[in-house]
Formats: sequence, structure tokens, C-alpha cells
Amino acid sequence: MLFKKNKQENSKAPQKGNASQVDAKAEAGGEKQFASRFLALKVGFALFFVLIAGRLAQIQIMEASKYQATAKKQYEQAVVLPAVRGNIYDRNSNVVASNTMNVSFAADPKIIDKDAERIAEKFSEVFNKPKSYYLSKLRTTNSSGTPKRFVWLERRAKPELGKRIEAMRLEGIVPINEAKRLYHYDEVAGTLLGFTDIDSKGISGIELQLDEYLRGKNGSVIMQRDGLGGARPSVDYPRIEPFDGNDVTLTLDLAYQSIVEEELKKGVEHNKADAALAVMLNPKTGEILALATSPGINPNGVNASDINASRNRVVTDMFEPGSVFKVVTASAAYENKLFTPDKRFNAEHGVMNVALPRGKMRQIKDTHAYDWISFQEAIELSSNIVMAKASELIGAERLYREARDFGFGVMTGVDLPGEVKGRLKKPNEWSGTTLQTLAYGYEVGVTPLQIALAYAAVANKGVMMKPYIVSKVRTKDDEEILAQKPQTVRKVISPETANLLTQAFEGVVERGTGKDVRIAGMRIAGKTGTSKKYVDGKYTEGSYTASFVGFFPVEDPQVVCLVMMDNPRAAGYYGGITSGPVFHAIAERIINSTGRFTKTPTAKEKERNNNGITVPDVRTLQINIASKILEGQGLKSELFGKGDVVVRQIPEPGKRLEKGDVVKLVLNGEETNTTANGAVVVPELKGMSLRRAINRLVVDDFDVKVRGSGVVVSQYPAAGQKVNAGATVQIICEPRAVTAALY
Amino acid sequence: MQKWGESNRLLNLHALKVLLGLVALFVGMTIDYKMYKKFTKPAVILAIAFLAVTFVLGGEVKGATRWLRFGGLSLQPSEFAKFALLFHLCTLISTKGDAIKDFKKGFLPMMIWIGSVAGLVLLQPNFSTGSMIILISLVMLFISRARFTHLLGTFAASIPLLVVVALTRPHVMQRIHSFIDGSSSGGTKNYQLWQGIIGFGNGGLFGVGPGASKQRDFFLPESYGDFVFSIVGEEYGFIGTMFFLALFLLIMLRGFKIAKSARDEFGRLLAIGITSVVTLYALVNAGVTLGVLPTTGLPMPFVSYGGSSLLFTSFAVGVLLNISAQTDMHPRAPKVEPVSSLSAFTEDKTVKVY
Repeated sequence: MLFKKNKQENSKAPQKGNASQVDAKAEAGGEKQFASRFLALKVGFALFFVLIAGRLAQIQIMEASKYQATAKKQYEQAVVLPAVRGNIYDRNSNVVASNTMNVSFAADPKIIDKDAERIAEKFSEVFNKPKSYYLSKLRTTNSSGTPKRFVWLERRAKPELGKRIEAMRLEGIVPINEAKRLYHYDEVAGTLLGFTDIDSKGISGIELQLDEYLRGKNGSVIMQRDGLGGARPSVDYPRIEPFDGNDVTLTLDLAYQSIVEEELKKGVEHNKADAALAVMLNPKTGEILALATSPGINPNGVNASDINASRNRVVTDMFEPGSVFKVVTASAAYENKLFTPDKRFNAEHGVMNVALPRGKMRQIKDTHAYDWISFQEAIELSSNIVMAKASELIGAERLYREARDFGFGVMTGVDLPGEVKGRLKKPNEWSGTTLQTLAYGYEVGVTPLQIALAYAAVANKGVMMKPYIVSKVRTKDDEEILAQKPQTVRKVISPETANLLTQAFEGVVERGTGKDVRIAGMRIAGKTGTSKKYVDGKYTEGSYTASFVGFFPVEDPQVVCLVMMDNPRAAGYYGGITSGPVFHAIAERIINSTGRFTKTPTAKEKERNNNGITVPDVRTLQINIASKILEGQGLKSELFGKGDVVVRQIPEPGKRLEKGDVVKLVLNGEETNTTANGAVVVPELKGMSLRRAINRLVVDDFDVKVRGSGVVVSQYPAAGQKVNAGATVQIICEPRAVTAALY
Repeated sequence: MQKWGESNRLLNLHALKVLLGLVALFVGMTIDYKMYKKFTKPAVILAIAFLAVTFVLGGEVKGATRWLRFGGLSLQPSEFAKFALLFHLCTLISTKGDAIKDFKKGFLPMMIWIGSVAGLVLLQPNFSTGSMIILISLVMLFISRARFTHLLGTFAASIPLLVVVALTRPHVMQRIHSFIDGSSSGGTKNYQLWQGIIGFGNGGLFGVGPGASKQRDFFLPESYGDFVFSIVGEEYGFIGTMFFLALFLLIMLRGFKIAKSARDEFGRLLAIGITSVVTLYALVNAGVTLGVLPTTGLPMPFVSYGGSSLLFTSFAVGVLLNISAQTDMHPRAPKVEPVSSLSAFTEDKTVKVY
């Protein structure tokens, strides 16, 4: 039809265009011939189309069922030859994750048929499972009722059991070597590495992030029944060889990682914290040397309760940083040359009222009351009031821009899954108090990695490096297919500003809130931070995030490390006495265990060592006795937590202090609820997380009965009631609503 | 950090080629097609030179020297030669007019060009592209009103050449053999073809669904090449393959319509030639995957994984669009919306008014 129409038009159309150029008569004849040949061509093409369409109809409609049956038969005979997943190495070529080969057994029920009883019996003998278990597998049928051509009987059998089955040479049983992922150090770096499912597919962590590289490509072989009834690889089909996965090398230092994890775990126990995390970087390159969360997971045996712990909170969670954010405020001041570190501010004796629009007032408080102090002292002593005042001099635009330059509110681009960018409000979204509160780290959402990176920039003379954890990807033939080199993000601050900040942060450790971090012979710079947790729309008393971030050696920084503790409850919640000691322990072990660092005690430290006071051991003593002993040595004591017995002291016994220095005493926990006659007061649990509620109840030896999960919404008996020791407390929980935004 | 895996690498590489193809399409669309007339002869000479150089220096892939490498790029000169020859034939036919009927003046010179290009491609050996070049040349000669006796004579003459090449290249004979044996016998000689047909059949009317092809995973390695149509058939079924065919039918109809309304003889021939190349490649590729033609290594235009073919085909389609832009089909704004000529049916009405 279409072609007919074309023909009619054809005889006229081209004539119009070409009439003037060519002899009209000859052209008319030529055009006629052209038209007929063109038509013939179209008819030819049309026939070709019809031929193809007809053939498609034949194959896809008329004979489809025949081909579908063939296809199905083929698939059922296809046995996957699994690719071996690539290994993961740390920076010193230690194998962190590899595979063990296990043998799995598949069967072709159709071939086995008469032998099913005997085979089921043999398997039952070896694997100690009921015979019926194997029989039912061997008798599985397709929906059409015909026996299946492929079933798994046992997957990843223990080698010694596998060998016994293999030795029996059972017909119709196909042994297939399958790799099982093996994490050589169990929970060390567990959360970071993540894990795989039974088919060796990456589920979380590095295993997920680099799955495409690690996975490789499975091959396959088509099994066929031979004359004797055994399953043999078919000769008619090609064997598609598996292509093994690539090996990945991380920037991680396994030695550092295990130190960090051990200390973090201790810290969580000491402080009765909900969780803790730490990240350690090389400030000059951005390489991640260690990254840990506690509690973590052991990827060798992951179970459902680990879901929460498998999140790498260093990049996936945001929190309000508190005082560690003061790095931004100080940078904005120094970078814009608004004032020098010795400018003096009135710290208002610990309390300052800020006027809000609409006549309201807001109070800003310092932990300790100071009057006139310099800006540097304000950093060392962590005064919020001075920061708020400084911020007014800096102004919204400059403060915002500085925060932005430090990378807050933007993803770091680290090669880990699930990174969030945090939240940094633009000045036009600020509330009446943002200018003041942002200066000491509230009304901003940051990830732990962003904080660590900001301090890394200070340590690296103001230049921020892009963080990364994968350094190399190599094929099994040792061909390098990916190599990451250090990448500069931007110059955040000038070297002069970086120098001033380093001085202030060194002061924090020497004289300020971070004194517990001090290590004789090693110059350390750092900052403490504590922030109230913003839960369900309000700041909660008694629920804190405490952090310490620092770097060393100050002369030539090799390591930046952030330690953060979620909700420490044992004693004080301040970063200086919770995360600080963990940082101290990590730093000390790293410095002592590797040859990379040399300690050079300063004159003051030598003096302290020679003439100082050795800290006595007052642990397990009553408060009044402990204080007396310390007084007798010329030391002061400061108490943290409730109770009457010292369980922990900072610094630890044997350290050297000067006369008049403070020893922090952590007491034996929350005040005892036991009343005189042995009855116990039931604590208030409402609003607590399930885990926290259970911890709280265990302290007083209650039995716990739980319904639901998430946050405690009600309890029985009610808070304040007196019950016998060891009584059962029932708590009812509901899932926490999606965590409310920070603001 | 992005994930770089094997499949993504192929995808990225292909995306790059598609981008280059779009550039080529745009270039073809922008240059006035009448310009080519002056350059077709040097182009075809260059193509012959390339073919000769490839024959001497080219990289060997699966027993055939077909690629010429420039730094990191590798090109198939036969793809270039195919279009260079086609363009030159259009130049020759449109300038010689009725002299085409004269054997010595018109027909013989053309046969020399066709013979040199097709001969060199066949010698690579690239039997399939060589045959396609001959087939398309025959189409051009046929449409140019060459005498039937000449055409038949040439056809008869080319048979011995093809036979000689076929006999000296074992893989060609093997393929023809397996075709004659009965390609759907389930034998092992023509494994890929048989697996391709199973793919079509397994798709049935509606297909197994996007990405669900098992043939691709287990039985049709490298299916992104010449057997991609079979995967389309498996995943999208008869509905999908019909849609696919309809797209090429549409390209053909629009192409011939452009030819019909082209301003001059050169444009008309060029339009017919380009349309024929695209359509014939699609049909032959489909025919091969369906077992109605002997197995050859011809790509499905625009779909198969292959840079040279995509690049030159895109350029040719660009030229087609340029011809379209200059026809009476778009009298008011000839160069503004040339792309629309491929998509809009409704314009047929306006054509009649003018």
C-alpha cells in the first residue's frame, strides 16, 4: 500500500527539481525507469522484512514451547563454577580477608533416581542429619512434576566430612569447590571490612564498596548424563572458566587498627558508653590508617542483631560536634586577621545571657567560671562564652564560609559506602542564636570523619587532603588496575593560621581540658569536645557525645586521631576524661610499639620526672581515704560520677605529676538504689534505648523482661517503687521514630 | 569513589562511543552534502590505502587483520571504505547520467572501484563485510539504471571470486557448511547460532523480562556483539523484536521518502544508499541470528557493541538528515529542525500542500 502511493508521487516530484538541468524528454524516460527500479528495491526490502518477521513468529510464537523446554533443560544442567573472591590486604601486605575452599555437593535427582535411598543414607551418616532431609531434597520436582535436574545437598561442608563423601564416589553427585570468606582477624576492622552473603556478594563495608572488583565473574559448565549414568561435563557446550576477583590493598595499618579497637573497647566498658568510634588518618596524605566502631561486628559470624553495628558510623552518622568545632571559629578569626590569640575577652564568670528576638533570653554556660582570659586560653579551657563573643566579631558570613572551607556540609568523597554530608545551614537559614552557638559547635551536623579531616588540615599546614582507604586494586596476574594517590582537596587556611591553631591545641593538652592526654616526650596537639545529644526534639541532660581529636608529633604530624564516645555514663561525660584517656592510650601504644616515633622529653618534663610526684594507686578505696592520700602527696582530687568507691583514676598510678596537679577519680557508678531493708528502688527507664535500659537494670541486679524493641515507652513496676532485690522489671519498647532532624 | 568493574568498564567505553557517534551524527548533519561530491574520489583512494596498510600492519583479532591502531584508538578501515565507496558511486552515477549504460565509459570504471575495495576487504579476510560491500554496490548500480546484462554479468563474475575466497578460508566454508546442514539441528558446529535461537524461542511472546536473560549468562558469551538481537528476543519476546524491526522499518521508510524528495540526483542516490546500508545491515544481522542466513560477523546498526560501525553509521545518518533538511519536505525552515524528519509522520500532509 505504502509503496503504491510512493510510485504515484514519484513520477512527478523529482521532475520539478531537475527539469531545468537535464533534457526533459530523456529525463522523463529515465525517471520512469528509476521509479520502477526504486519500487523493485522497496519490494525486495519489504520481502526481507516479512521473511524476518515470519521467522520470528515461527520461533517465538509457534515453536516457543519447544525452545523454552530446551532452554530450561540447559539451565538445569548448568553448574556455576564460582569465581574466587579477591583478597583484602592492609598497607603492610597482611592478608585481612581471603577465602577457604570448601566442597559443596550437588546432585542430579533424575540421574540418581533409584539410588536415592542409598545416597541419602550415606549423607545422613556423614553429616549427621536425618535421612529424610536428603531424601526430600533428592525428590524435589519442578512445577510440572518432573524431577529437578539440580539440587544442593550440602553446601560448604567441612573438609574432613567432604573428603569422606568424595571417597565414596557416589554416582550423580557433583562435588563443587566453593570458597568461603575468611576474615583473618575476626572482629578487627570488622565493621570497616563488612561481610558477604552466602553467594559471596558484598553486603556492607569494603566488601560492598569494592564488590565489583572483588567479586570476579562466575563461570559455568553444562553437565550431561553419560552412558553409565554419571554426570559429566558436556562436550557439546563450552566450559566457561570463572574469572577470579581482584585483590584490594587498603591504606589501613592492621597494628594501629587492633590497638585502636582494644582501647576503644576498654573505653566503652570503663565509661559505660552506648558506643564509641575512632578514626585515624595520615594528615599529609589523607590515608585512613585505622577506623573502628565499638561495638563492632565479627564478619566471620554475622547475625541479625549486628545490623546496627555493621553501619560504619564514622561516615554514616552525623552529630553535633560541640567544642571540637571551635577550630572553625578560631580559624575564621585568625584567617581574617580580626584579632590575635592574646586578645582578651571577659568570660562573664561562667554564665552569659544572649538576647533573642522577641524579647527572649538564652543562657550560654561554661564548665568552669573565668573572668578575663585571652582567646588562646579560651580555646585551651574551652570557654563557650568567649567563642560566642568572638563569633559576633567574626560575623555570620565569614564564620559560614570558614566552616564550608573546612568541608562541613559537604561529603568528603571517601571510598566507603553510605557517607552523609552532614548539615551546615546557610546564614539566611540561621536562627537568632546560630551565630553564637555555631561558634562552639551546636546547630550543625557533622560526621566524625569530617572532624578528623578538619584537624588533619590544621596538622598539614592548612592543606586538606582527600581521605581514602583503597590504595590499590590488582588482578590475580598482578596487573594494577587501580591505584589511588594522595589528592589535595584545597588549602583551607594559611600556614600561619595553622601554626597559631597548633599552638592553641598544644596548649589544650599541656594546660587545658586535654591534660590527661599528655605523653612525656611527645608533643601532642588536640581538642576536647562534649555535646548534649539532641534526642526527640530537645537537648537531653545526661545524654552526651564526648570526643577528643588530636595529632602528633606536633613538629611533624604523622597521625591524626579522633575518638568519640556516645553517651558515656559511668562518671563525667566530658571529652577530656572519657575520650581523652582512650586517645592517650592509643597514642602511647602506637608511639611505643613502632619505631616511627622518637620521644624527646622537654626540660619541663625532665624536671617533672626528676622532682615530680608519683601518682599513688587509690583505686578501690573510699572517696575520703583516696582524697586524703592524694592530699598527703600534694595532689588535688576531683570527683566524677556518683557513689563512694574509686574505680578508676586519671592519670593512672605511676605517672609523674607536679605539686598541685589534679587527679580525677571516677566513682563506682550511679548511686546505689538499695534502701536499708534490702529493697531496691526501680529506676526511671522511659525514653531510654533498650540497650541502655537493660544496662541500667543489670547494674542493680534486676531481672529484665522485654517486649518490643527500640525505646522504652513504659515499665512495670513504675519508677520509684521499692521492690525486692532481684525482682523482674518488665519494659515495653517501641521502635524509635526516624531520628528527628537536628534542628 | 566509583565502582569500576568489568561490566561498568564496558558500559563506560560504550557510552564514550555513543557520545562520539552523536558528534559524528551532528557533523554529518551540519555539512552540506553537496560538498562531498568533490571529495569522494580522494576518500575512496584513501580508503584503499588504509585497507592496504591494514593488510600489512593491522592487528590480528581472531585470525583476521581488520583493525588499524592509532595510539589508543583502533578503527576498522573496512567501515570507512564501505561508506567512501558508497559516496563515490553516488558521485559517479550522478555525474555520468545516462553514460552509465555504456559499458566502457560508465560501468567499467565503477566496477574497478568496487572491485578494488571489495577485493581488499575480502582478502583481510572479512568475508561478511566484503559481501555486504558487493551487495550494496549492486543495489546502487541497480537503482542507477545500469543495464541488467551488465549487472548479471558482474554478479556472475563475482561468484568465482567469492568462491575462491570461501574455499581458501576454512572458517567461511565451515559456516556455510553448518548453514546447509540445517542450522537448527542442535548440532555442535554452530553453537552460538543455536544458542541464539534458543534465546529467541525462550523469550516467547512477552519475553523473560529486562536483564533476566540466562542465555547471556551461561550460553552466549560476548552476546553484546553480533548476537545482541537474540538477547532482545529473549528478554522482550516477540513484542520486543517486532518493535525493534518496526524501528528499522521506520528508518527505511523515512530514508526512502527523503530520497524521493531530494533536490538533486546525488542527494537522492546518497539517501537511497545510506538507507539501504542501515536497513540491510539490520536485516542481515537479524537473518543471521535467526538462522535464515549463514553466520557472519555483521553488527546490528546502533545496537551492537562496536565503535567503528557506530561512528560511521551515525555519520551517514547525519548526512541523510542533511539531505532531508534541504528538501521540499521542510520548505520554511530547512536547517532548523532537521531531526524531526525522522520522527514526525504528520508532516506528510504539509508536503502535499506545497
